[in-house]
Amino acid sequence: MSIGSPNNITQAATRDIVGPLLELTDVRTHFRTPRGLVRAVDGVSFTLDRGRSLGIVGESGSGKTILSRSIMGLLPTKGTERSGSIKFAGGEIGDKSRKQMRHVWGKEMAMIFQDPMTSLNPLMKIGNQIAEPLRIHLGMSRGDAMATARRLLQDVRIPEPERRLEQYPHEMSGGMRQRVMIAIAMACGPTALFADEPTTALDVTVQAQILDLLGEQRRDRNMSLVLVTHDLGVVAGHTDEIAVMYGGKLVEKAPTKRLFAAMKMPYTEGLLASIPKLEQPSHSRLNVIPGRPPDLVHPPKGCRFAPRCPYASAKCIEEEPPLTPAADDPSHSFACWYPVGSPEYHEARERIAATAGVN
Amino acid sequence: MRYFLQRFLQLLLVFVLVTFSVLVVMRMGSPDAQTLAIKLAGRPLTPAESQSLIDTYSLDRNFFFQYLNWLKNLVFHFDLGFSPQNGLPVAELLKPRVWTTILLGLYANVFGLLIAIPLAVNQAYRRDRLFDKAGNLATFVAVGIPGIVLGVFLKLIFVVNLEWFPSIGDKIYPWDDLSLHFQNFFLPALTLTIPVAAIYTRLLRADMVMTLQSDFITLASAKGVPPGRVVWKHGLRNSLFSLVTAVGTQLGALIGAAVLVESLFDLDGLGSQLVVSVLSSDLFTVQSFVAIIVLIVVVVNLIVDLSYALIDPRIRQARALG
Amino acid sequence: MTNMTDPTDPMAPTEFTDVVTHEAHAALDDQIDARLKQVRRRRIPKFGVLFGATFLTVLLTLTIFADFLPFIRSADTAVRIDGKLMSNYKLGPGWDAWWGTDGNGFDVFARCIYYARYTLWIGLSSTAIGIFVGGALGMVAGYFRGKTDRVISILVDCLLAIPALVLAIMLVRRLDDIKLDYTWLGWMTRMWQIILTLSILAVAPLARIVRAQTMALREREFVLAARSLGSSNLRILFREILPNLVPTMVTVAATGLGILIAAEGALAFLGLGLETSWGFMINANRTRLEKAWWATVFPCLMLFLTVLSFNLIGDRLARRFDIREAAV
Repeated sequence: MSIGSPNNITQAATRDIVGPLLELTDVRTHFRTPRGLVRAVDGVSFTLDRGRSLGIVGESGSGKTILSRSIMGLLPTKGTERSGSIKFAGGEIGDKSRKQMRHVWGKEMAMIFQDPMTSLNPLMKIGNQIAEPLRIHLGMSRGDAMATARRLLQDVRIPEPERRLEQYPHEMSGGMRQRVMIAIAMACGPTALFADEPTTALDVTVQAQILDLLGEQRRDRNMSLVLVTHDLGVVAGHTDEIAVMYGGKLVEKAPTKRLFAAMKMPYTEGLLASIPKLEQPSHSRLNVIPGRPPDLVHPPKGCRFAPRCPYASAKCIEEEPPLTPAADDPSHSFACWYPVGSPEYHEARERIAATAGVN
Repeated sequence: MRYFLQRFLQLLLVFVLVTFSVLVVMRMGSPDAQTLAIKLAGRPLTPAESQSLIDTYSLDRNFFFQYLNWLKNLVFHFDLGFSPQNGLPVAELLKPRVWTTILLGLYANVFGLLIAIPLAVNQAYRRDRLFDKAGNLATFVAVGIPGIVLGVFLKLIFVVNLEWFPSIGDKIYPWDDLSLHFQNFFLPALTLTIPVAAIYTRLLRADMVMTLQSDFITLASAKGVPPGRVVWKHGLRNSLFSLVTAVGTQLGALIGAAVLVESLFDLDGLGSQLVVSVLSSDLFTVQSFVAIIVLIVVVVNLIVDLSYALIDPRIRQARALG
Repeated sequence: MTNMTDPTDPMAPTEFTDVVTHEAHAALDDQIDARLKQVRRRRIPKFGVLFGATFLTVLLTLTIFADFLPFIRSADTAVRIDGKLMSNYKLGPGWDAWWGTDGNGFDVFARCIYYARYTLWIGLSSTAIGIFVGGALGMVAGYFRGKTDRVISILVDCLLAIPALVLAIMLVRRLDDIKLDYTWLGWMTRMWQIILTLSILAVAPLARIVRAQTMALREREFVLAARSLGSSNLRILFREILPNLVPTMVTVAATGLGILIAAEGALAFLGLGLETSWGFMINANRTRLEKAWWATVFPCLMLFLTVLSFNLIGDRLARRFDIREAAV
């Protein structure tokens, strides 16, 4: 259990970073199965600066979790094909093995999982679980590690940290456990934090607290945050930018405000429509996007969303739209032939309204 | 504590019921006390001898009373009865042999675990690779192979062909002569160890494979914990449940196998003596031996039960709350 | 999704099962479903179960028709070649006697084949009785719960507290004596003593598994529905629960057969079984292992392969029906 010699990757993060912290170019993650190649992530590119936060949004099956795990390199080696370039703090990590990535995990990059009930070791005291990465990566003594763990518990606003250190996960509530997970992720001061549906398993009241805590920690520690979720509402107030994924691809990416003000993809529109709104009477029907996510072995030829898109035309089914910047705002890019607001879009809407009226 | 008491009483009940049933089975089928006395003695008796036997063991009373008498003698005088055929108290018959069986059982469990734990952990870690598949095949065959067959094969290889070990066993204990002990006990212990190790391996591997798919294992990796530590520190302890249970549940099978192995390797122990006593209808001896064996099984299961709480704080808490 | 993670199944697809989060599963759900169906359709019978079934079929055929098959000698007449008795292990394995002759000059192969009758019969009938009694006890305990369950559970605990082989040797030997004292037990031959004893051994484990399954089934919708429609307990037990227990029982029976056959061999080996048994042959010849290995090794091999065959079939069934209890 050696600490492992610091290599290029780990050193990179400690020096001043020039350029983006995270730079993805055409990242692909495919799984080999007897049925064929499952294209879980199929050509994703984006950059993320240090201290900024990015929300990755999509339905289950859109590849968002696999994408976050691809970046971290937390994937099984058997049957997985990865390609493209992932640069972290200027160094290429896309081709690193799990063994090499071990020194990055927990130290430079950390991850928070969805279900706090199953993500902590049930047989290990909280204190030891927080201290573990400290001792491994920073070579701290037991005493130092425990003192740091205590401070971390304080940071994530857990009352009576001294007593909690000696407790087991089952003695805590879900929200408390998620705080512990954040403390673990924060332990070695990573520069990038991946949160995979961090609030999905929690009560609504606790959700907001956890999201606020994440945002606060990000600002205090100058971390980059990648927040993966299926819920546009979650990312709305908590990330600088939003990337929408569908069928293994990015279909729209924009600064948060801009996205909500001028979304271009009908898919994003659908996602937004599916958030229950407070002003709606309770029990009103939720809007859902009809249909199922695309088959990732044999994806549709044209736009992957076309089969479910209410505004799709022949071109959408035939040709795949590229991810292109919007004319009026280069920070906003989307992949759609007839984006929301275009003449064709209005035409299609009117057509739909007309048929609905006839019925 | 309440849990422990409950469990203790439950096992006590099992012990009483089993030993009582054994007594009934041993003594049923005799029309009167005299015949029973003769059967117990295993030879014709003079009226005086017969009367003394009847008085000592209350043979003229019903089974219930006889049992109480037997239990009283056992608890207060540690009197296991008398083996008329050997002309010895049963306890005297037991004493020189008990270590053979205890040692064999101990070896099987200790070596079984020493083989099973690393094997299962590595199999689970290298799931579906060649190593795992080979391990699965080997343990599958080893679980199913009948004890006698395994013993005969080992004997054929090591005694007949290689001539490494003597063909007839002699109960020499480690405190007498270590190397002779090894020579005499190695093959019987191996015969017992192989199936035990195989069962332990299969159980632990199955649990371990499940554990290694848990979220907290992925989290441990994501913390940068080295794979070896992830598997051994986070994985193993969370996978011990079936294994610990098996130490208790497999004990019966192990004792059964010891009976066979002691007979096959001519090793003088409780098992081989039990067979001799059964064949010669030495009823007192059989009854007491079975009682001792049941006692051991019950006590080990109680210990197994307690050790769950040692492993898992959740069980500790649940039990503390009663 | 659940059957993917069956840990006992070395054939389970694994390439991406390690990606364990719910999300990842959801992402690949369709693909996995489709793949499983495909795999199942494509699956050829595996070598193991094929071997087991073939071995048992051949053995059964040989032992049933042994009297009519020209290449199988009688088991009870010593081999003579040119008028000379082939006793004292005179013939080794070879053309004259395939598996050699034993101390009395009997053909080891013929004996192995003939004695399979007794072994298989004892195994099958004691398993059948065990399933009947153990299954009934387990169903009643699991269905009615409460006091009934407690009484049956204690009975099962008691049976499990005595090591099986110890119980078996004790019972078989005692039945020798007891049947002399109770005239109504006069019909009981040694064989029936063994069958009875072995079926008692089978009761406890079976009752335990069936009880657990019945308890789970009891809470299932179709049982609740039947009960709310006013079906009688008896009807629910036989119509709703029993059919769902059949896979478990069959699986446990297959594995149990192997165990009981090994136990029969062990009894015979210890001198408490039949003299027409592989176990008895092993015991009778084992002291001459150096001189005539064949007389011991071939009966051992038969016992081993028979037990292995039943285990292979049981293992296959356990996987097919996804029953974990019988897996080990």
